[in-house]
Amino acid sequence: MSLTCIIVEDLQVAANYLIKCCDKSGQVEVKGHFINVQDALSYLNENTVDLIFLDVEMPGANGFELLDQIAFSPKVILTTSKKDYAYNAFQYNVSDYLMKPFTYQRFIEALQKIKPSQETVSTNNGSDHIYIKADGKLIRLNNDAILYIESMGDYVKFVTNDNKKYITHNTIKNLEEKVSKQHFLKVHRSYIVNLHKIDDMRENMLFIKGNEIPVSKANKADVFKRLNII
Amino acid sequence: MNNYPTDNPFIFNSEINAQHLAELYGDDYEYVEEVFTTVLNEYAALTDNVIACYTSQNIAALKSAVHKIKPIFGFVGLIKVQEQCQQFENACQTAGSFDVLINDFSLLKNSLIKSKTLIEDEKKKLGIYNTHRA
Repeated sequence: MSLTCIIVEDLQVAANYLIKCCDKSGQVEVKGHFINVQDALSYLNENTVDLIFLDVEMPGANGFELLDQIAFSPKVILTTSKKDYAYNAFQYNVSDYLMKPFTYQRFIEALQKIKPSQETVSTNNGSDHIYIKADGKLIRLNNDAILYIESMGDYVKFVTNDNKKYITHNTIKNLEEKVSKQHFLKVHRSYIVNLHKIDDMRENMLFIKGNEIPVSKANKADVFKRLNII
Repeated sequence: MNNYPTDNPFIFNSEINAQHLAELYGDDYEYVEEVFTTVLNEYAALTDNVIACYTSQNIAALKSAVHKIKPIFGFVGLIKVQEQCQQFENACQTAGSFDVLINDFSLLKNSLIKSKTLIEDEKKKLGIYNTHRA
């Protein structure tokens, strides 16, 4: 087993089928099945998993509200019977979208999409720069030159202080481990910011050279800890 | 007399899309029986919710209730009923008043009732088939 997951799904037949697919794949260990967001959240407050299979429409809160409230960024595969969640799926960096009922082959295709990203960034936490693979070459970016990093599905965008944008195949989760922790902090599931570049903060938004960056509830306390507030 | 020779595949009712079920479950008829059993266990609660939402004339809740029951028809190969649910959801989305849903709901309700009987009959047949196959 290489991945741990939970299933958040209130339809029993769909949950059972997912469990069977996970077992058959030999790649995913199901740590729990929850029929509502509240129960899943209680579990995720105490545990982490690599992957969530998430239904959207459930009694009480919907699936996206779960993603708003958890303090880490697992991979997410939506399992739904509605086609019109594409915009939300993009916003929440969802890896794939399974329409119920799906075939085992389609399930495996979804799993393929969440394999760890190919290494596209080279750095260590003590370094003053990173290298990224973009535009067919290795490009050096000094930490001080990076304003923020934004998720774009399976890609990320580095925005620099000379207003250049570099897009490379990677994930925020992977980069969080690789970039300098002295300089950078994840403030939202889709954003890592350079702490030295923040101009101001209002409510749940950071402002960096005119760019508005959302701060999630889960990350807000970390942001306050890291800012030099006097 | 054994009506279900073990060498032969199970013959589903013609209302059920056997090809679709084969794509989902292969020839694992014991699991198919399990799926039909699970669906029947959930069926009453899901249909009661649909009826309750219709009775209360709450279009948004009715749409949500039909959305929730919709995929179970896919799991048992009743693709046409699944599509009928989708069409009813669409009708709810565009309905200017509750009255325009009355005829479509009557048809949907009939499908829900008929489908339950069909799933029950098919589950019984699968049980016999699997017993003889064992």
